[in-house]
Amino acid sequence: MNSEIIISLEHVTKRYKVGDGDFTALSDINLQFKKGEFAGLVGPSGSGKTTLLNIIGSLDSPTEGKAIVMGKNISALSHKESAMLRNYHIGFIFQVYNLMPVYTVFENVEFSLILQNKSAAERKKAVMESLDWVGIADMANKKPSKLSGGEGQRVAIARAMVKRPDILLADEPTANLDAKNAHAILQTMKALNKELNTTFLFSTHDEKVMGYLDRMIHLEDGKIREDEIIPHKLSV
Amino acid sequence: MLFKLAYKNLEGAGLRTWLTVGVLSFAFVIIILINGIVNGFNDQAINDAVNWEIGNGKLQNEKYDAYDPFSIKDGHGILPDSKNKDLVPVLIRQASIYPQGRMVSVTLNGIDINQKLLKLPTILLQQSTEEIPAIIGKRMAASANLKKGDQVLMRWRDSHGTFDAANISVAGIFNTNVTTVDAGQIWISLKKLRAMTDLDKSTTLFIAEKDYKQERVAGWKFLDQDELLKDLRAMVQIERISDSIIYLLLLAIALLAIFDTQVLSVFRRQREIGTYISLGMTRPQVVGLFTIEGSMNSILAIIVGGIYGIPLFLYLSYYGIAIPAGADNMGLSMGEKITPVFGAGLVLGTISLVVISSTIVSFLPSRKIAKMNPVDALKGKIQ
Ligand SMILES: Nc1ncnc2c1ncn2[C@@H]1O[C@H](COP(=O)(O)OP(=O)(O)O)[C@@H](O)[C@H]1O
Ligand SMILES: [Mg+2]
Repeated sequence: MNSEIIISLEHVTKRYKVGDGDFTALSDINLQFKKGEFAGLVGPSGSGKTTLLNIIGSLDSPTEGKAIVMGKNISALSHKESAMLRNYHIGFIFQVYNLMPVYTVFENVEFSLILQNKSAAERKKAVMESLDWVGIADMANKKPSKLSGGEGQRVAIARAMVKRPDILLADEPTANLDAKNAHAILQTMKALNKELNTTFLFSTHDEKVMGYLDRMIHLEDGKIREDEIIPHKLSV
Repeated sequence: MLFKLAYKNLEGAGLRTWLTVGVLSFAFVIIILINGIVNGFNDQAINDAVNWEIGNGKLQNEKYDAYDPFSIKDGHGILPDSKNKDLVPVLIRQASIYPQGRMVSVTLNGIDINQKLLKLPTILLQQSTEEIPAIIGKRMAASANLKKGDQVLMRWRDSHGTFDAANISVAGIFNTNVTTVDAGQIWISLKKLRAMTDLDKSTTLFIAEKDYKQERVAGWKFLDQDELLKDLRAMVQIERISDSIIYLLLLAIALLAIFDTQVLSVFRRQREIGTYISLGMTRPQVVGLFTIEGSMNSILAIIVGGIYGIPLFLYLSYYGIAIPAGADNMGLSMGEKITPVFGAGLVLGTISLVVISSTIVSFLPSRKIAKMNPVDALKGKIQ
């Protein structure tokens, strides 16, 4: 694996206005992620995991400090530039799958590629390939409402992976899944991580997820308590 | 591609969409229908006015003013013979008739009985053997209680101001939509009227035939069709405005439904909006998507309206619309049947009105998306 740094956080602090005062959700976060990492932000609810993922995904920006993603300073991007960054380089997976109910599975997955102005033939090929990765190619024409939770999250993974992003941000992806589905999905993601060298960054407090991570960043009250590299995983 | 997405979303909204589309399509059809009827009426009224009253314009004695009854007395003159080619002469006088002892003031029109320009049945004046045959319109007949063949006493003044009286006989009653040649009007032979009033060769006005060549004649002024139709057009315009209130209300209801749906969508579909943004859409693109979604209601409405509207319009413009008897007192007199006229301008104008107005009401609530924080939207936290 190469050691190219694709995410770099320097003194990232995020404060929210609450009433008259401030609430510090993230405090002086310094972190770097290399291409191909399979890492997780772990910590209790409210520790700032989602906030940090959103900053990396350029949906949010830090109050102080710098977040550099794919060589770009998030705070300095225009709306259009940050949309481009998300469109081409970043995939999101949410706890609630956030699938568009009126589109079919195929159309949900196809969406990013339409935004990228890919041709219909290219789209079809890429969509079917990514549905294959997650093992639901036979459900392409179903509506999300007809899917089980595990299948829904697979569609979300396919949607995030179809554009072959550099970074995949997964916010508590297994929180709504049973153990069997959670493991299946984690195995799929791990396989994609190896095959495509996509950087995976999770937010989780699920033990099952932690079992798969190569690196765990423990967050507590918006601060890094420990940045732990899981040694036996490094040999993989 | 936004169109396809927008259509899917609309389709997904189901009944609500179809209700909105239904009302909007109804507004669309009604706008075209009402305007088509007014257009048809306008055309018909202008046609009737031309055929019954104004021909290709009027050459009037300068002292005569159609709006001033006092101008009748002296508003006449003699046009040199060389100048009266292709003109139908009319002499106007005031008179009174006494049906059943009641006195009714009338305008007495002497017209060349050989004229073929106006639809006035002057042939009946030619054919009658009575001393003073007259033709009147159905309104005049009704108000003076006269029937064909009736005689009634008439009193008038001659050119010296001396009163004279004689019986006139109703040689015929004509049916026209043009009240100005009907209500309070009596038509007799020009030759006879000139003799009765001792106004040999005098004329109040001439109605121009098609071939009439306009030239300046001292003491006379020519009023062309446009000038003479001014009042009629103004009346039709007023009718148009009062009718528009009906359909603008209907349109407003439909637009309100779209507006309401949009406000609700923007609020209820925050997660979806956040997801679009997380997938790499820009906020203006999302605003565009929601706007297209709303305005697509109007496109569907036009399609749906077309499905039932086109056969209806075709049927009506072919067979016309029967106007119930007694509709005469609607301010404008109408024929028994109106043939609506649906021009391309009307249809295209209505399409633009519906599409543009629904795009605006779709856009206004969607603008809010541009100010949304995607993180809050994803959490569904925006009120
Ligand atoms: N928009 C906001 N306004 C105020 N406080 C917020 C806002 N968003 C998040 N927070 C607070 O920031 C802290 C971190 O939130 P979050 O990143 O969602 O935590 P986690 O994902 O680890 O559960 C929480 O205490 C949360 O209440
Ligand atoms: Mg969270």
